[in-house]
Amino acid sequence: MPDTSTGVVVIGGGSTGAGVLRDLTLRGIDAILVEKGDLASGTTGRSHGLLHSGGRYCVNDEQAAIECVQEGRILRRIARSAVEDTGGYFVSVTEEDHAWEPRFVEGCRRTGITCERISVDEARRREPALSKHVRTVFWVPEDGHLDPFYLVVGNVESARRRGARVMTHTEVSGFLREGDRLTGVRIRDSKTGEEGTIACQSVINATGAWAGLVARLLGVEVKVVPVKGTMVVLSRRLAHAAINRCHKPGDGDIVVPGLSVSILGTTSAKVPHPETLPIEWDEVRRMIEEGAMMLDGVTTARAMRAYAGVRPLYDLGAEAEGREMSRNFAVIDHQERDGIKGFTSIVGGKVTTFRLMAERVVDVAARHLGVSTPCTTAEVPLNDRDEPLDQLRHRPSVLGVPKPHGEEPPLQPLLCECELVRPQDVAPWFKDPAVRDLEDVRRRTRSGMGPCQAAICSYRLAARLVTDRGVDGPTATRAMADFLETRWRGVRHVFWGSQLRNMQVTTGLHMELYNVDRQLMLDPVAGASPSPVAAEGQGGGTAPEPAQVAGQR
Amino acid sequence: MKTDVAVIGTGLAALAAARTVQQSGRRVVLVWPGLSSLYFLYATVDVIGYPTATAADPIAHPAQAVARLIAQEPSHPYARAGMKAVEAGIALMLEWFKEAGLAWEGTLDRNFLLPTATGTPKPCCLAPASMTAGDLSRPDPIVLCGFTGYQDFAPEFAAANLARQWRTAEVSAVRITAPGYGPDRHFTSIDLARSFEDAAFRDAVAAQLRERVTSQGARVGIPGVLGLTNPSESFAAFQRAVGHPVFEIPTVPPSVIALRLFDRLRKHLQEAGIEIIWAAPAHAADVTDGRCRNVLLKAAGHELPVEAESYVVALEDWVDGAFRAGVHTVRDPFFHQPIAWSNVPTDRTAESLFATQPFEQVGYALTERLQPADENGTPLARNVFCAGGAMAGYDPSGTKSRGGMAIATGYRAAQEALAA
Repeated sequence: MPDTSTGVVVIGGGSTGAGVLRDLTLRGIDAILVEKGDLASGTTGRSHGLLHSGGRYCVNDEQAAIECVQEGRILRRIARSAVEDTGGYFVSVTEEDHAWEPRFVEGCRRTGITCERISVDEARRREPALSKHVRTVFWVPEDGHLDPFYLVVGNVESARRRGARVMTHTEVSGFLREGDRLTGVRIRDSKTGEEGTIACQSVINATGAWAGLVARLLGVEVKVVPVKGTMVVLSRRLAHAAINRCHKPGDGDIVVPGLSVSILGTTSAKVPHPETLPIEWDEVRRMIEEGAMMLDGVTTARAMRAYAGVRPLYDLGAEAEGREMSRNFAVIDHQERDGIKGFTSIVGGKVTTFRLMAERVVDVAARHLGVSTPCTTAEVPLNDRDEPLDQLRHRPSVLGVPKPHGEEPPLQPLLCECELVRPQDVAPWFKDPAVRDLEDVRRRTRSGMGPCQAAICSYRLAARLVTDRGVDGPTATRAMADFLETRWRGVRHVFWGSQLRNMQVTTGLHMELYNVDRQLMLDPVAGASPSPVAAEGQGGGTAPEPAQVAGQR
Repeated sequence: MKTDVAVIGTGLAALAAARTVQQSGRRVVLVWPGLSSLYFLYATVDVIGYPTATAADPIAHPAQAVARLIAQEPSHPYARAGMKAVEAGIALMLEWFKEAGLAWEGTLDRNFLLPTATGTPKPCCLAPASMTAGDLSRPDPIVLCGFTGYQDFAPEFAAANLARQWRTAEVSAVRITAPGYGPDRHFTSIDLARSFEDAAFRDAVAAQLRERVTSQGARVGIPGVLGLTNPSESFAAFQRAVGHPVFEIPTVPPSVIALRLFDRLRKHLQEAGIEIIWAAPAHAADVTDGRCRNVLLKAAGHELPVEAESYVVALEDWVDGAFRAGVHTVRDPFFHQPIAWSNVPTDRTAESLFATQPFEQVGYALTERLQPADENGTPLARNVFCAGGAMAGYDPSGTKSRGGMAIATGYRAAQEALAA
């Protein structure tokens, strides 16, 4: 891994890091984003995808609510392709919820959230799946669905087009210092173990739940509390709009319409480490039971998988725990606080407010660098070059259309039939050196995310590793198996009904038709390699430089 | 509807059972719950490929391996069927294939070792004649051929694996563009198979292949799309035109090779006057005094009772509704018995997708005569017999034994039904 240099190193490839990278680039500052996994592989990609109107926070966390209102409006302008303007409902089902209503209405008023009470009949006309338990309904038009993968990729690609660089699967292993000044970072390829350095003037720690671990490499403390949330994905979209329980935020009180699926969220439990995210059966059960309080069909719909993410709550030193903690964020200027020049951290916050978080932290870092160019991320759209970025993903173009795939031209070849991903949607990513395994392709294209959970497309994607990248057979087979295993880890938690039947097809196909279990067993290279595509460099891959890729995109 | 024996199921177990009854001269009705996705797994009949789910070395002699398994594991479905049923069932099916005009090869005395679409050698006992030229015991070099725009067979991927596993001779990959097909056209295996029934299309593809396959004595592996309704003629004509031995490699659903088998066997039964009730899942068995009086089917718009002297439940597995998995309890669709219970759904699974899965082991407890039984070993109904994936411990994935187990248990259950 060759040594390199830049102005600012951004650590973390979630929505915050991606937003920071774009912000720096728009201010004319040269930057490299370093992410130890893939883009959106941490908290962002494991969120429920609700673009918060702020209604959820308007009673207990006014500041967070106000930021959600503002940022939601900005995102609809600059990131149109990542947002589906679904609107949302806050529904009361119990006596307790009913008692919360006046506080909710007052909270909305104070924080500027548009909120309108509508009759249950009218609500049921709009959302026929509302359960019989629903007694009061508020329409909150500014709730929406935010596609977290597309959001991060859109930010990063916008920055790459302006010369920013991205290094995925690259871990920061240490810092370079001269006295009290940071002069760079040591990096290590997470897949190959290769090491290198990036010399820079400033480092921004945008690693969310991992921020404390990164800061510890410098011997400074950043108190982040990793709080796990578990979600369940149903294969159907049960409602046009986001459905929230009108009560004090609790477990299982949101159902988000994510493109063609429904996502039930979420739980809240402190975890010792941001990567310790076991999914408990009790959480899955609770998601389904609570979801069923608001919507019919939750218990009978096909549950596709469960997943868990980690919130990066910032400990302001208060007594609060978990949900009680503010969803606010903080910029830590380590020069001021700890006497380390050139190091800034951004902690707390949420995906909806990522842009504002980026703006605030870049304000501080830019000031230290002597750059006074103002932030323009609220004005410049992500896709500002009239490039067909939007066409890479199937996006709903009309409000409230349950199936966003309606405008698909007929009879095009498909690589992933479940998610309607075409071969040409995945092809560019096989040329991108930041894409290192099939999970990376999935995050950028949605292939493998539908009901069959990659049973069919995994073979097609693995074949492309051979044809498009020159990867050897055993390595491609291992990549295919790893892709399926990652899907399996989520499916196991909802293993009943149709999904159980589906997985019998998957095992039958891969073990009996392909005999993949023996392929993995027989080939020591395929069997032993923990990192699927690590060998692509040696395999005669044709990966172009990032700049070239940006040009093609 | 009244008959002597009603056979319920979609797969080879049900077909073997129906054929067994037919051969006995008794009346049989075949009840198909609907097309099953397990369809595509029957491109070949795998009797036993490996002695255990984790053994690396393939079995060369399936009859010996099954005999060993029967001696070692008395509760294994093969042991419950018995060696006689394995041999008689396979003989019955081979003879039926021949009579129905399906060209198949193989015996219980040897396994073929055929390359899959991932380029992995796979042991199997019976195979269509259009596949057997791929046997890796032959020393001839292999050229794998794919089609532009066809994503379910990637010759480059398969060749990359096969070349490492099989070092006897050269393996290479070519890709050709079939007339009318390309990267911009949406098509499936079925489309290609229909095109291959056209002589001009076949010849155009063969001409391209002749040009690309230059090595002397090479054989050509091609995805399993060489004709749908007249496979033998299409295959023979194509092989002649290519000028090299050709072999098919089965692909994901819709698998043409499996469709040919099932469509032909089903039609052959119908030609013999055997009634097949389509797409009618059974949802209850009426049992009084220990006998099943009839089985209720959900047919289009009404409930259809099927009344028989005896019944063979030969459902393949979860996929075609042998059982229904609730969140905690697994129930069967006939007697509505709780078959299995799990505290949490993950208990039904292994950590790895490629390991032996607890859910595959779930099934009816059985009597010696293959009658589904309660926990005390008493039959749920004296005249109901079980074959296929609904049997406890029926897990063909790791040992590659799906077809053999289906046929042996289907044959044995039908014999018991005839004796009842």
